Amino acid sequence: MRRVTKLAAVVATAALALAACGSTSSAGGGTTTESGSPAATTSSAAALKVGLAYDIGGRGDKSFNDAAAAGLDKAKAELGVEIKELSATQGETDADKEARLTLLAQAGYNPVIAVGFLYGTALKNVSAKFPNTQFGIIDSTVDGATNVTGLVFAENEGSFLVGAAAALKSKSGNVGYIGGCLIPLLQKFEAGFTAGAKAVKPDIKVQVKYLSNPPDCKGFNDPAAGTETANGMYDAGADIIFAAAGGSGTGVFQSAKAKKALAIGVDSDQYQTAAADLQPVIMTSMLKRVDVAVFDFIKSFKDGAPLTGVQVFDLKKDGVGYSTSGGQVDDIATKLDEYKAKIVSGEIKVPAEPAK
Amino acid sequence: MSEHPERSTTAAGPATTVPAVELNGITKRFPGVVANSDVTLKVARGTVHAIVGENGAGKSTLMKILYGMQRPDEGTIEVDGSPVTFHTPADAIKAGIGMVHQHFKLADNLTVLENVVLGSEPRRGWRLDIEGARKKIVEISDRYGLDVDPDPLVEDLGVGERQRVEILKVLYRGARTLILDEPTAVLVPQEVDELFDALQELKAEGLTVIFISHKLDEVLKVADEITVIRRGTTVRTVLPSEVTPRKLAELMVGSELPSPQTSESTVTDRAVLEVKGLTVRDREGRPVVDDVTLTIHAGEVLGIAGVEGNGQAELVEAIMGIRPAEGSVVLEGRDLAGVPTRERRTAGVAFVPEDRIRQGLLLESPLWENRMLGHQTSPPNARGPLVNRRGARADTERIVRDYDVRTPSIDVTASALSGGNQQKLIVGREMSGNPRLLLAAHPTRGVDVGAQAAIWDHLRRARAEGLAVLLISADLDELIGLSDSLKVILRGRLVADADPATVTPEDLGSAMTGAAATGGKPGTADDTDGATDAEGSDV
Amino acid sequence: MERFLPRFDPRKTGLAVLAPVVALVVAAALSSVVLVIAGHSPALAFQRMWEYGTEPAQVVNILNKASGYFLSALAVAIGFRMNLFNIGVDGQYRIAAMAAAVVGATLTLPKPLHILVIVAVAVVVGALWAGIAGLLKVYRGVSEVISTIMLNFIGGAIVAWAVTPQVFAVLENNVVRTKTIPESGWFPGFTWSGIPAGGSQTVVFGEIYGFIVISGLVGVLYWFVLSRTRFGFDLRATGSSEPAAVASGVDVKRMVLTSMLLSGAVAGLVGMPILLGAAHSFGSQDFPSGIGFTGIAIALLGRNNPVGIAFASILWGFLDVSNQILDIESIPKEIVTIMQGAVVLAVVVAYEIVRRIGVATEQRRVMSTENAAPPAVPPATATADTGGER
Repeated sequence: MRRVTKLAAVVATAALALAACGSTSSAGGGTTTESGSPAATTSSAAALKVGLAYDIGGRGDKSFNDAAAAGLDKAKAELGVEIKELSATQGETDADKEARLTLLAQAGYNPVIAVGFLYGTALKNVSAKFPNTQFGIIDSTVDGATNVTGLVFAENEGSFLVGAAAALKSKSGNVGYIGGCLIPLLQKFEAGFTAGAKAVKPDIKVQVKYLSNPPDCKGFNDPAAGTETANGMYDAGADIIFAAAGGSGTGVFQSAKAKKALAIGVDSDQYQTAAADLQPVIMTSMLKRVDVAVFDFIKSFKDGAPLTGVQVFDLKKDGVGYSTSGGQVDDIATKLDEYKAKIVSGEIKVPAEPAK
Repeated sequence: MSEHPERSTTAAGPATTVPAVELNGITKRFPGVVANSDVTLKVARGTVHAIVGENGAGKSTLMKILYGMQRPDEGTIEVDGSPVTFHTPADAIKAGIGMVHQHFKLADNLTVLENVVLGSEPRRGWRLDIEGARKKIVEISDRYGLDVDPDPLVEDLGVGERQRVEILKVLYRGARTLILDEPTAVLVPQEVDELFDALQELKAEGLTVIFISHKLDEVLKVADEITVIRRGTTVRTVLPSEVTPRKLAELMVGSELPSPQTSESTVTDRAVLEVKGLTVRDREGRPVVDDVTLTIHAGEVLGIAGVEGNGQAELVEAIMGIRPAEGSVVLEGRDLAGVPTRERRTAGVAFVPEDRIRQGLLLESPLWENRMLGHQTSPPNARGPLVNRRGARADTERIVRDYDVRTPSIDVTASALSGGNQQKLIVGREMSGNPRLLLAAHPTRGVDVGAQAAIWDHLRRARAEGLAVLLISADLDELIGLSDSLKVILRGRLVADADPATVTPEDLGSAMTGAAATGGKPGTADDTDGATDAEGSDV
Repeated sequence: MERFLPRFDPRKTGLAVLAPVVALVVAAALSSVVLVIAGHSPALAFQRMWEYGTEPAQVVNILNKASGYFLSALAVAIGFRMNLFNIGVDGQYRIAAMAAAVVGATLTLPKPLHILVIVAVAVVVGALWAGIAGLLKVYRGVSEVISTIMLNFIGGAIVAWAVTPQVFAVLENNVVRTKTIPESGWFPGFTWSGIPAGGSQTVVFGEIYGFIVISGLVGVLYWFVLSRTRFGFDLRATGSSEPAAVASGVDVKRMVLTSMLLSGAVAGLVGMPILLGAAHSFGSQDFPSGIGFTGIAIALLGRNNPVGIAFASILWGFLDVSNQILDIESIPKEIVTIMQGAVVLAVVVAYEIVRRIGVATEQRRVMSTENAAPPAVPPATATADTGGER
């Protein structure tokens, strides 16, 4: 659906541009660099050419992919790298993903970043064919491939903190978790959130709902479903809901506003990007700094010391955390920092899978 | 009414000089259907002008052109002396031409008044002027003796009344010329008489009626002038006094008429089909076939006479096993209870359905595949679980030859054939494979005269070889001529037996409407040579 | 060719081929307009797509995709041929592939037998899942359109539940998959290697799924059953006129059930090329989805004809694969989605026009025969005509 809108945007903007002065522009198309020259296989020191392959949804998903895009944009602006972004299609096969990564590697992009764990299998094959290209993959690792850097996060740790925050703030002793799609990665959020809440209040009630099932993870972009599910949870007594559901989060925030309750955002500091009328309901956001990971990864090449192996972005590295915009958690900051310290020190082990 | 057959001729003779309607050189090309070519027609004001022709001769197309539903490719239309061009029926209505369709276009759940004003609602200011409309309806009804009450719901009316509502509706819109398309097809004889009375009233008031029919006795009775149309073109216009029904029929078909008369009886005492207490119910549980018991012997044709819709189709379908039924059906000593249609077919039951488009053909399939339909499990169409294309094709060629199916190839789709040729293919197919019992509903409907005779011949030959036939036909002459015994069906029940050797179409007609008990009406005299209704009704 | 077009008639075949060609041209023109408006060169786009799509490695990818699309479209076409709309191929193949993957991973059998068992499981599960819709239609009058869509959701939920670590799957790097099928259950493929353009060394372009052969055989079987068997005749008859089929003795209820089962059985095979040829396990997120819906479009495009479907599958695969290059040229690759949509729409219109032209010409021919031939004499042209055709 969104792809169509995007194209419509392309058409519209292009038409406007044509009408205005006849110049052509692909604004909004996502790929904003100059037309790719497929030659230039030598990765000269001049300009670092960074290739990035998005997960389904691509740039503009207001979630995971956008976080990666933010890191890429930052790298482009601050490090002056040349970038090329390719997007995925619904229902594609590993072969398609392989073809995509191959295209980038063949065109001389190095490093090549794959956004999303679904690239795992494809990357395993492609990395073997291009031993001189360094690849990065978000949320996954490829065993035994020295030219693949795994960029993974301790989402459970960040979620633990917002879970604790929710328990500390909850008056009803009833909080909720809404996941965009029932996949292990999201269950990691759930596990952390539940553990954090129970650490504060062992008898707290945590309602858990997922908006969709794989392969059709439309729950990441279904605000209406978010609203409906959140309404149900609030009606069932919850007063704070953690919306780990990408674009559907907006729906949860709207529900929170209507029900005069609170919600917790995810991935980026959603207080910053939400509409003004929704900001008051966003108590905090669980930060998963995909942008940081992408930027750091690219920067390491610029610095001449590429990150390799498995890079875990956890609390210790501030790869995950919680946001403080709006000041709603300022009063419990010390408590949260205590938990953080305990996790960093290893005193608290946050589970990665929900308890059965 | 019937006692004044001469009345129709008294008013004959064009009274005015300018015809009410004049068509000149009308030509309409149309793939697949008989089009109109060079049709010329002059209808005098204040007369009933009949247009007769076989089914598919082009009568309906012509009337659609006159009513603005279709536009001619060539030719001119003049109304009251001035040329007109109709783009839509609304144009025709404006010019004073109204049409009463064969199939009524009334809304059942509205009252007569509402139906009449529908589409031309009377207004006074913003409001619907119901009272004004009622007054006008009553006035029209009285003036033309239509006897229409504006208030009952249409669904409560009988067929004849509905037709008068249609006529009134047309008059209400100011029509001076009425086209009646096969108006008697749906009526029982008594209603036909009432309709004719009404037509005389209309004529007396100076209106013009164009009356389309293929029932020659009726036409001769009611028309002042008769135009015969054949193969899309007007053949001749005659006065009723000049022609006999037979002459008229020959004009219609363009050749000498065949007769359906069978020679001597071939009935044996071996029962092929025994039906006992057969009852078929509709969804609401009402019986549409009610306790029917009959036996057909080898070599016997049993005719079922009845107005259409009295359970004939359901009776046949029950015997075919298409419809669930109570009672017993025994074929050559074998009880068919629970036996599926396919097995009944292979046991030797052949079926010429009433609705050939729906039940008899695969319109999008080639002729040779249509030849297989219903016989797809037996030679020459099948070899084990496989289709025997060679055999089916060869046998289709045979049918095309024997039954004079006019087609350039057996690979054309069935939809490309005209109705008559489709019917010939179906009859040919069903007569193949040595059937024991043939259930034939209107076997010659829509078929031209030559093919009709051929089909009758085929039936007689098969009968002589021991085929048992259950014949359902709207063509009473065909029924009487072909049948060895006759039964009359009314509201799902077999109400009377008749001897085809002695019965007249009129007697049969009375029995079909349930009027037999009261003695019915004497026949309308001049029409017993058994050939006038050369085609059967096309209701 | 003639074997696949039973009623071979140059005129008819010409018309039949013309329709999709016209549709393709229309779709390309439409896409070009959009591209021009968006400020891109259609010529460059199509040229790059062609170049990229004909690279050996991509040809392999196209054929591999087509092998699944083909089966999916056949499954849909079985329904279409009798006026049944099996919208549920998607759910059927996924649940079938999942079950087959689970069974395949737990068994250890010698090679051919292992593959056979996996395929059998897929066929049976696919058939049963579609059969539910068949039963609902036959005994409860539930439209198969509704029930198959609903079954897609239910199937999706079942697959999502089954492919969790708690049930049948293993978790690795955030991806859940069923356990990997041992090598005895892998379908051997055809490795294609050669010297690439401009290169000097022999490289492996890729491996074409061996299952593509099975796909082809299923296509032949489809053609044979539909056009050469009594069953196929009954099925087609039911599709073109149910009352006529009933009157001819077809047990429509049984036909509905049988064809749903058959459609589901073929649908069960849809996931097999990739499962046995590449994936070797079923991941609820990374096993391709949506092939069932693609199959509907391809069946329409291919006119339910196996040859047509084969071409349409390859075309679809080509568009799917070659669009990637547009991304690298900074041309929105969504243009291909537009093109795919346009081609289906255009082909439906084109076929209808062609059908009408066909009917009209036929009627004209028939009319001339009807009017020309004297009543008593059989039409001599007819016999000569058809005699020559065999």
